[in-house]
Amino acid sequence: MAATAAGKKVFEVFVSKVPWTVATKEVKEYFRQFGQVKKCLLPFDKETGFHRGFCWIGFTTEEGLQNALQKDPHIIEGARLQVQKNRKPFSGRKSNKEAEDI
Amino acid sequence: MAALLRSARLLKCSPASLLQVTGNTRHAPVAGRLYSGAVGTPHVGLCVRQTVPRRLNVNSLSSYTSALPYVSCRQYGVVPEQRGLVKDEPSVAVRSKQAQQFDWALAKLDSSVRRTGRVTKTLLLRIFHDICRTGYPSGNQALLMLRSCGSLLPEVPLVERIELSQRIWDKLQELGATYDVSHYNALLKTYLQNEFRFSPTDFLAKMEAANVQPNRVTYQRLIAAYCEVGDIEGASTILGFMKSKDLPITEAVFNSLVTGHARARDMDSAEGILSVMKGAGIEPGPDTYLCLLNVYAEKGDFAKIKQTLETVENADIHLMDRDLMQVVFSLTKAGHQQYVPEIVERMHHERGYVPDAMNLCLSLITHGHEETAFSVLKSFTGLLVQSQTSDSPDLGNFFLRHCVNMDKSVENIVGFCKDLKDSGLHSSPLQFTLQCALEAKKTGMAVELMRRMKEEGLPLRPHYFWPLFTHYQKEKNISVKEVKCFSCHDIHHIHTLAVSSPALPNVDLSAFRASLISGFRGFHNVELMAKITELLCKDPRFNSTEPETSENVAYFLYNLIDSMNETEVHSKEEQLREYFGLLRNMNISISLNIFRGIRNILESYQVPELVKDVLALVDKKDNGLENEATLLRSLEGKLSFLEKTLAELKAEGKTASSTLKKVITVLCAEEPTTIIRARKDSEVALDAQKYVALVRVLSKHGKLEEAIDMLKEMKEKDVQLRDGTISLLTLTMNTAAMKGDANSIRRLQETIFTLGLAKPSSNLCSPLITCYLERFVEFLSQERGEMMMLYDLYFAFLQTGRYKEARKIIETPGLRARPTRLQWFAEKCIAAQQMEPLENMVDMTVKLFECDRDDMYHYLLRLCKETNDWQKAEATWMKMQEENLAPRERTLRLLADILKNNDKEVPFEVPEVWFEKVKGQPEMFLEQEIKSSPLVQASPRKRVAASPPKEATVDDYRLKVLSLCKKGKAHEAYDMLKEAGSMGMVLGPAPYDTLIKALLAKGNIEDAMAVKNIATDHVPEFSLSDNANSLLIVSQVKRCQMKDALGTLKGMLQADQVPSQLAITRLVQGLASEGNTQDIQEVEALVKTLGSIKLSSMLFVNNAALAHIKNEDIDSAVELLESFYIQNTDNQKSSISFVFRKVLDANNDAALDKLSAMVERLCNHFASYRAATDLFLIYLDTGRTEEAKFLLQRCAAVNEQKDAMFTYMLRAAQQPGQAAKIKALSELIPDFTEKENIYSHLVKCCGLDKDFSSAKALYERMQAEGVKADELTLKRLALLYKEAGEPVPFEEPPESFSFYADKLKKQRSESMEPADS
Repeated sequence: MAATAAGKKVFEVFVSKVPWTVATKEVKEYFRQFGQVKKCLLPFDKETGFHRGFCWIGFTTEEGLQNALQKDPHIIEGARLQVQKNRKPFSGRKSNKEAEDI
Repeated sequence: MAALLRSARLLKCSPASLLQVTGNTRHAPVAGRLYSGAVGTPHVGLCVRQTVPRRLNVNSLSSYTSALPYVSCRQYGVVPEQRGLVKDEPSVAVRSKQAQQFDWALAKLDSSVRRTGRVTKTLLLRIFHDICRTGYPSGNQALLMLRSCGSLLPEVPLVERIELSQRIWDKLQELGATYDVSHYNALLKTYLQNEFRFSPTDFLAKMEAANVQPNRVTYQRLIAAYCEVGDIEGASTILGFMKSKDLPITEAVFNSLVTGHARARDMDSAEGILSVMKGAGIEPGPDTYLCLLNVYAEKGDFAKIKQTLETVENADIHLMDRDLMQVVFSLTKAGHQQYVPEIVERMHHERGYVPDAMNLCLSLITHGHEETAFSVLKSFTGLLVQSQTSDSPDLGNFFLRHCVNMDKSVENIVGFCKDLKDSGLHSSPLQFTLQCALEAKKTGMAVELMRRMKEEGLPLRPHYFWPLFTHYQKEKNISVKEVKCFSCHDIHHIHTLAVSSPALPNVDLSAFRASLISGFRGFHNVELMAKITELLCKDPRFNSTEPETSENVAYFLYNLIDSMNETEVHSKEEQLREYFGLLRNMNISISLNIFRGIRNILESYQVPELVKDVLALVDKKDNGLENEATLLRSLEGKLSFLEKTLAELKAEGKTASSTLKKVITVLCAEEPTTIIRARKDSEVALDAQKYVALVRVLSKHGKLEEAIDMLKEMKEKDVQLRDGTISLLTLTMNTAAMKGDANSIRRLQETIFTLGLAKPSSNLCSPLITCYLERFVEFLSQERGEMMMLYDLYFAFLQTGRYKEARKIIETPGLRARPTRLQWFAEKCIAAQQMEPLENMVDMTVKLFECDRDDMYHYLLRLCKETNDWQKAEATWMKMQEENLAPRERTLRLLADILKNNDKEVPFEVPEVWFEKVKGQPEMFLEQEIKSSPLVQASPRKRVAASPPKEATVDDYRLKVLSLCKKGKAHEAYDMLKEAGSMGMVLGPAPYDTLIKALLAKGNIEDAMAVKNIATDHVPEFSLSDNANSLLIVSQVKRCQMKDALGTLKGMLQADQVPSQLAITRLVQGLASEGNTQDIQEVEALVKTLGSIKLSSMLFVNNAALAHIKNEDIDSAVELLESFYIQNTDNQKSSISFVFRKVLDANNDAALDKLSAMVERLCNHFASYRAATDLFLIYLDTGRTEEAKFLLQRCAAVNEQKDAMFTYMLRAAQQPGQAAKIKALSELIPDFTEKENIYSHLVKCCGLDKDFSSAKALYERMQAEGVKADELTLKRLALLYKEAGEPVPFEEPPESFSFYADKLKKQRSESMEPADS
C-alpha cells in the first residue's frame, strides 16, 4: 500500500523516553524483534555525557516499522518507551494546543 | 498586665540606644516580673549577645528554633492552578530566557511553593538574576526574594541560605530597592528560620541608621531571637520596650518566651507561661503548645510530649501535620530519633501532607539525619504518586537525589537503595542514584556506586562513564586515564554480562498484527482465521491479563474490515459472515464503539446485512441498551407504544431496564401512578436518577407517603445517590418549600438522612436551614467534611458573632480554601461595613489550606478604605508582616492610599503604577499622579506626556520613559528619551530595551533602531534582548522585509538568544506567502538547534505546503502533506486546517481539487482521517454545507471522528454567531455526541447571540424530544426568558451560574468512571 514511498523512504520510527541506562546496543537489540534494524541513532549530549532520551530506529522493511508501531507498550528495562512514526529528523517539542493558526 | 505596661513606660528612648546598653540589666527585673512573676520562679538571665559569634557552623549546633525550619507558608499571593508532585523541570533554562520579564519567574516561584512547599536554589538564583538584570527591583519583589531564603529551601544548608539572603539583600539595595520595615522584618525571619545567630542590638542600629522605625513585628522577632539562645534578659528588655510603646503583647511573644525559658533550662517557667497567658486573657493556641512540644522534644521527654498532646486534644485544639513534623524535626536534631515513629503515627495525612513530608525528609537529610529521614519516607510511600513515565515503581527519587547532592556516604545510600528495592518501592534505585551522581559530576561517588552495582550483578555499560569523561575533558583533569582504565576493564565485563542476560522482551501479538491483517484479507481458511483470532483474544502468551485485551481484538477486527475495500467486502461477504459466526460461537465480543465503527464501514459499502452479524458480537449488556435506544429514538413521546413495547419485552422475558427508564423519563412530567404500576409489574431495577424522578413527581402530586416509600425502596435495593441526583432531590424539596410545605421537606429530609441515602449537605438542608440551625449542627458533628455545608455554617457563625464555633469549623481537618465562598462573605461584609466578622474570618483562615492570604488582607483593606479607618489599615499591614506575607502590588497601593488620605506617612515604597487601571479604584491613581506632577495643574490633559520638572533626575526620566512605554505611548517616551539625552543623561539598558520593544510593537523599526544606536553609544555592550529581537522579526515580516527578518533570526541564534514562538511563526508564514520553500527549510533547520522551543509541529509542514501552492506547484504540496500523514497516522494534533482555510479564502479551486483528492486517498487507503476531518470542519465553518455533505459521503470514516467534532462544537460555542454551524454539524452527523450536549451548546450560543426566539424554539424542541436540560442550560434559558420579559416556563435553578458550571464539570469528571444512567 505504501509502494510509492517504499523506494526512497527509510522505515524509521522515532523513539522517546529512552532510559539513560540503555545505549545504542540495547535499543537496537530490543527493536530487532520487530524486523531487521538498519540503523539506530541515539544522540548523546556532549555537554552532559548523557544521551538525550530519544533515538531513531530505521528498519529495512515496512513490515518491521509496522510491527514496531503496532506494539504497545514498549518496555525496555522497566521503562516505557514512546514509539511513533518518524516524519523527519526534527525533534521540536509538540505543542499542546491545536495549531490551526499556523 | 496594664500595671506593668505602665511601669515599663519609663523607658522613653530610642530602641537602638536602649539596646546598646543591654549589657546593663537595669530594666530587666521590671519586665521580668511581667511574665515570670506570676509563677514565682526566678528567671535566669543569659546574656549571650556579645559572646555569640556572628556566624556559627549551624550543622554542629543542635539547637532548636521556633522559626519553622522546613515548614513553609504556601502562599505568595497567586491563585493555584494545579497541585500534585512535580519533578524537576529541565526546561526552566530555555523558558526563562524566553520570558524575560520576571513576572513569569515570580509566578513560577509561586507555583513551585504551592505545589511542593519549596523552591530550588537554582530557580531562586535564576529569578534573582532576572530581577537584577531588569535593573529596577521593586520593594515587594525584594520582599518576595527575602521571603524565599528561609524554610522554603529545605535542600540548602542553613549557612548557604544565610549567605544567599545576605547577597540578595545587598545586591537589591545596591540596585536601588527601597527597604522599609517589612523588609527588615523579613530579613529577621530568615535569620530565625535559618538559625542564624546575630546581634539584635546591631540589627536595630542598622535599622536606625537606615531611618526605618521598628514595629511590633520587629520586636516580636527580636524577642524570638533572644529566646532562641535562652536569653531571657534580652527578651525582657525588648518586651519592656514594647510595653513602653503600648504595643500589644501577642500570643507570638508568649510562645517565644516558652522557648526562651526552656532554652535557659527553666522548664517550670516555660510551662508557667501558659498560665501567665491565660491571666493576660490570651488563650494558649496551637502554636503555644507546639513550642512546648518542641522544648520537650529537645529534652527527649516523651512522656511530657504525650501528655501535652493529650491536653491539646482535650482542649479541642487542632495540631496540624506540619506541627507534628516540627516535633519530629526537633526530636531528631536533639538526638531522640527513637520517638519519631510514634509521632509519625499520629499524623492525619491532611491535604498537602505529602509535599510537607517530603520537605521534612529533605530538611532532615540536609541536617545530616538521613536515617531518620528514611524512616519518615517509608511511612508515607503509600501516599506518593507513581511517576507517569515509567511502568515500574520509582518511589523515593527525590530522597536519593538529595542524598547524592548532600554527599551522603555511599554505604548509607546503598543501604537505602537496597531497602527501597526489597520493599518493592523502586525497581532500579542504584541506577537512579548513579544517574544523580553522574549528573552532579560526583566522580568518586559514581565510581563507588558502579562498583556496588557490579557486586549486585547489575550490568555496567560503557556509556555510564561518558558524563564523567565530558566533565574531565572540560576540567582537563589528570584522572582521565584512571577512568578510562576502569572503563575498559568494565566493557569486557559488560559483554560477559550481556550474553548471560535473559532480558530480551517477549514477542507479542502487536508485533505481527500488520502482517496478520494482510494474510487475513485473502480469507482462504476462515476456520483458521477464527482460531487465530481466538488465540489472540484468549491466549495469555499474546496478551497480558489487562481488561483491554478484548478491545485489542476488536480493534484488530475493525482494522481488518477497514483495510478491505468495497469490492473485497462484497466478494467475501459469505466468508465474513461465517467468520463472524465462528467468533460469536467462541464468545468473542466487541464493544459498542467498535461496533459503530465497523457498522459505518459496512453500511458505506452497501452491505448492511453483515451489520447484523457484527451486532451479534456486541457485548450483551451494551447490546440491549443500544437496540432499545434506537428503537425509541424513532418513536419518541409515543406513550402507548412505549407501554406496548414494555409489555412485549416483558412477555419475552427480557430485561427492559433501559426501555423502562425511557418510559419513566417521558412520563415523569405526566402522571405518576402509571409509572409506578408499570414499574411494579416489570420488577426492573432502576437507577438513582429514575428513582429520584419518581420521588419528585410523586411529591409534586402530593403523594408524600408514596414518595417516601420510594426512598425506602432505594435504600433496600442499595441504590447509590450521586451529585446530580441529589440536586434533583433538592429541587423536589425546593418545590415543597415554595408551597410553604415545611412538613414535607422535613419528612423527606428525615427519610433521606436516616436512611443514609445522602449526607446532609447545604443544598439538601438549605430549605430548612434558617429555622433548624441546631439540628444542622448535629448533622455536622456526624458528617464532617461536607465542605459547602461547613462553609455555610462557618459564615453563619461568623455573622452571629460565635467566633469560637466558627474557628472550630474552619479548622476541620481536610478543609481547604474555597476562594469564591470566602470572597462572597468578604464582599458581603464590605458592603455592610461589618469589620468584626471580616477581621475574624481573615484571622481564622491563616492556616487554611491554599488560602490566598493576600486576597484576605485585600478585603480587609478595602473595608478600611470604605470606612476610612487608617488605624485598622496600619494594623492590617502589621499583621501581614507577622505572617511574613509578600503582598501583591494592588494591596500595597490600597494601603498607601488609605494612609495618604489621612495624611499619614506611608512607611513603604508605593509600587509604581505602570498603566492606568480600567476599573477598580481609578480615582486613587489619578490623584496620586496629580500630586506627583507639578505641571498637571496647568495642563491636566497633557500630564502624561509632560516632562518631568526641571530638576528631574535620571531616575525620574527612567521611570517616566518606562511608564510611558507601559501605557503604549512609545513616541512620547522616545521624545522623553531624546530630551534626557540632550541633557547628557544615560538611562541604562532596561529603559532602552523597553522603549525599543514599545516602538517595535507599533511597527516603528526606524525609531527603534535609532534608540538602539543611542543605547549602543552609551552602553557599549548593549544588545537587543530576546524579546526585542523577536518583536523586530515580527515587524520586519509585517513589512515584508523577509531577508532582514531571516537575518535577525540568524543573529539571535548566533548570540545564543531564543526567539519567541510568535516571531518564528510569523517569519515562516511570511516566507510561505512569498512561496519561499527554501528559506522555510532553513528556518526549520535553524530552529531545530534550539531543541525545546514550543512550536506547533505543523508550522513547517503547513507553511511549506502553502509555499508550494503559492508557487503553483500543487503536486509538491500534496506530496508533502500526504507523505506526512502517511507517516503520522495516529497523530491527532497534526491539523492542516490552516492550509485548507488559506486555499478556500483564495478561491484556489485547482489546489482544493487536488487537496480533496488527497484527503480521500488518505482516508480510504491509509486510514488517516485527520485531513478529511479538518477539511470537513472547514467546509462547515465557512458555510459550505453541501461540500461538507459530499465529503462525508466519500469519506465515511469522518463520521467516526467524534472527538474532533466535539472539540469543534466546544470551540464554536465560545463565540457569538456560531449556532448555525453547530446545527449544521448535528444535522450532518447526528450522533457525534449526545443530544443533551448539542442542545446545551446550542442554548449557550443563543445566550451569546442574545437570540431569545431561537432559544425558545430550542427549549420547546427539547421538551418535545424529551431531552433533559442540565441546570446550567436551564439557567441560561431562564436568563434569556427574563431578558425578553417573558415568564420562565420552568423552575429556574436557584444557585448561581458558576455553581452549576462547577457542578457540571464535576459530574463530567465523575462520569469518566462508569455511569449508571
